[in-house]
Amino acid sequence: MPVKALYDYEFPSADRAELFGDDQLVYVHWDGNPLFCAAACFRAPKAMPFGEFVAQLVGPWAASDPDFDASTIRDWRLFDEPLAADPGRSLADLGIGHKALLRFSA
Amino acid sequence: MTQTTPRARKLPLKERYALLTRDLDWEPSYVDKQQLFPYTSYEGIKIHDWDGWQDPFRLTVDAYYKYQAEKDKRLYAILDGFAQSQGHLGLSDASYLNAIKLFIQGVTPVEYAAHRHFAYLARYLEGPAPRFAALCQSVDELRHTQTQIHTISNYNKYYAGFHSWSKMHDRMWYLSVPKSLFDDAMSAGPFEFLISISFSFEYLLTNLLFVPFMSGASFNGDMPTMSFGFSAQSDESRHMTLGLEAIKFLLEQDEANVPIIQGWIDKWFWRAYRVSALVAGMMDYMLPRPVMSWKEAFELYFEDQMLGGLFPDLDFYGINPPRHVEDAIAEKDHLSHQVYKILHNFSFAAAFTTQTPGEEHSRWLAEQYPATYEQLYKPVWDKHARTEAAGGRIFFQGLPQVCQVCQLPMAFTEPGDPARISFRRTDYRGEIFHTCSNGCQWIFEREPEKYVQAWLPVHQIYQGHCGGPSIPEVLQWYGIQDGDNGEYKGSPDARSWAEWHASAPVQGG
Amino acid sequence: MSGTLRQVGVDIQDAEENRGLVDAIKADNPQLTIRHLPGLLKLQAAGRMVINRETVESKLGRDWDTGEFQLAIVSYVGNFSEWDDDQIIVSWEH
Repeated sequence: MPVKALYDYEFPSADRAELFGDDQLVYVHWDGNPLFCAAACFRAPKAMPFGEFVAQLVGPWAASDPDFDASTIRDWRLFDEPLAADPGRSLADLGIGHKALLRFSA
Repeated sequence: MTQTTPRARKLPLKERYALLTRDLDWEPSYVDKQQLFPYTSYEGIKIHDWDGWQDPFRLTVDAYYKYQAEKDKRLYAILDGFAQSQGHLGLSDASYLNAIKLFIQGVTPVEYAAHRHFAYLARYLEGPAPRFAALCQSVDELRHTQTQIHTISNYNKYYAGFHSWSKMHDRMWYLSVPKSLFDDAMSAGPFEFLISISFSFEYLLTNLLFVPFMSGASFNGDMPTMSFGFSAQSDESRHMTLGLEAIKFLLEQDEANVPIIQGWIDKWFWRAYRVSALVAGMMDYMLPRPVMSWKEAFELYFEDQMLGGLFPDLDFYGINPPRHVEDAIAEKDHLSHQVYKILHNFSFAAAFTTQTPGEEHSRWLAEQYPATYEQLYKPVWDKHARTEAAGGRIFFQGLPQVCQVCQLPMAFTEPGDPARISFRRTDYRGEIFHTCSNGCQWIFEREPEKYVQAWLPVHQIYQGHCGGPSIPEVLQWYGIQDGDNGEYKGSPDARSWAEWHASAPVQGG
Repeated sequence: MSGTLRQVGVDIQDAEENRGLVDAIKADNPQLTIRHLPGLLKLQAAGRMVINRETVESKLGRDWDTGEFQLAIVSYVGNFSEWDDDQIIVSWEH
C-alpha cells in the first residue's frame, strides 16, 4: 500500500547501486558460528576476484574468531543456492550483485 | 459516622474542565476549517464529532502547573541530596552505569522528539480536549527531557560515555534504532502518531520500556534515576490515558477507521517491540543486581496485562491482538541474549562498555532461562571467557548486516529454530532489501517508499558520510572519547571505581 | 460485562504521605491485593477499583483533592471510567 501523503510521495532509495559506483555492498554470514551476532557487511569492487574478496575482506573479519582456519571454508551459498566459488572470477561474474547475501561454513 | 461538610467550591471539576477546554474553543468565521486543520483527513480516518473525546483526568491548566511544579520541587531536592552526598559511590558497581548511558543516549532525545510532535498535535488536532491533552503531554515530554538530563548529569562528572548523548543519538549505529522509530512516527500523520506513540509506545509497551530501567535503578543504588522514574511515571499515567482514549475515540467515530487502526497497531507493536530489545539486553546483562528477567517482564507486562487485559477490551471494537505477536512470544527466551551478543560484539564502537557474564551472573541467567541459556548462549560466553583469560578480547572486526526497518543488526533467529539467523529478503524496484523478521518484512512491504529512504548507519559509513573510511575516523565522528567504548574490565570507569573503593574506613578500622 | 473479572490495578509510590491513600483504597475495596516492590505498591482488584475522596480525607486527617492522586500514581492497568471531585474509578469497560 502506498504511503499516505498530502503530496506525490516519491523519493529515491538511500542505498541504491549507483551511489556505490564501481563498488557494491555484499553481506557474508558464517553459518553455524554463534560467536558472530550477525552477518557482516562489506563494500567491495564489483570486479574484485572472489579469491581476493575472501582473502582480503572475509578472512580478516572471520579471524575475529581466534579458532578460524581459512583452509576449512566450504559450502558457499548465494542466498539459498549453492555457489560455485571460483576464486578467479569476479563478484559480478559469479552473479553476486549489490546487497547480495553470501553464506559459508568453516 | 462523622459528618463531612461538602467543601465550598466555585465549580465542580466537570464544569471547570469544560470551561477551560471545550468552552475556550470557537468556530472559525473568516478562515476555512480545512485550511486551519489541513492534516486530519489525508490518512483516511473519519471523525464525526470531536467532542466525543473524553479526558478522564479532567486536567485544567491551573491544576497541571500546580502538580507539575510540586513534582519538580521534590525531584530536584533528591538530585541535590544525592550529588552532595557523593551518592554515586553507593551504586552496586560502575558497570551498572552502562545501562544509564544507553538510556540518556537512546531515550532522552526521543523524549524531546515526542515533545515537538505533541506540540504539533496541540495545534493541529481539531478538538479542544485532545489539543489540550496533547499540549500537556508536550510540556511533560520536555520536562522529561530536562529532568533526565539533570538527573544523569551528575554521573557525567565522574564517568565516561555521558558527555555527547545528543550528537551520538544522531550518528551512532545502535541509537538509530530508537531514533528511526520516532522519525517514522513523526513523519506519519497525526492519527498514526497517536496510535504509534500514544498507544503502542505509551500504553501497550510503556511498562516494558520504562519499568526495567527504573527498577534497575532502585536495585542498583541509583536513587536519582529511580526518583526521576517515579516522578515521570505519574505523568505517564496521563499519557497512557491519552493513548487509550485516542484509540477508543478513533474506533468509536467510524467503522471505517477500524482496519486502519488495526494496521497501525500491527506495525507499531512490532516496531516498538524491536526497540524494546535493547531494554531486554540491558535488564538481563547490564544490571549487577538484576530485578527480573526480560522473559518474566514480558510475560507480566505484555502477555498478562496487555494480551490478557487490554485486548479483550478492544475486541469489542473488532480489534485483534497485533500481527506477529506470536513471534515476539516465541522469542522471549532468546531476545536478551541475542541483543547482548550484538552489544558485546560491537561495544568498541559504542559509548558504553560491555563484559562477558561471570559465573554468578551465568548461574542467574541459567535459572531464568532453563530452556535456552546453557544450551545456546553459555557456550558463546564460555568461549569469550577463555579468550579473555588468555589476555584477549573478541570483537566483531567489521560492520554488521542491519535490518532495513528496525535498524538492529540482524541477530534474531527463526521462530522455533534458534540455530538459524532469520533472513528476510524483499525485491523492490530492482533493489534488494533485507529485514530481520516476519514483522519487519511485513512493515517494509506495506510502505516500501518510506523505508527505502532509511539512513542505515552501516551503509552510510560505506558511503563515506561518517567521518572517514577507517574505524578510528568513524569513532571520532561519533564523538567517542577514551574510556567511552570497548571492554568494561580495565576501563577508566572500572579503574576509578576500584580506586574510590580501595581504602578501608580510617576510624574504627 | 465479561464473565471473568479481569484485574485492574494502580501502582502507587511507596512514600510516607501515601499511606493514608492506600489505607483508604483498602477500606473501600475489600478484595484488594497489595504487592510490595521497591518504592512501589501494586494495588490490584478484580474488575473495578474505587477511590473515594471522603475515605481518603478521613485516613489522612486533612482535606484532599482527587487531583492529588496524580502525585501518587506511577502506573495503572484498566481505564479511568470516572474522575470527578469525589471519586475515581478504575475498571475495564467491556
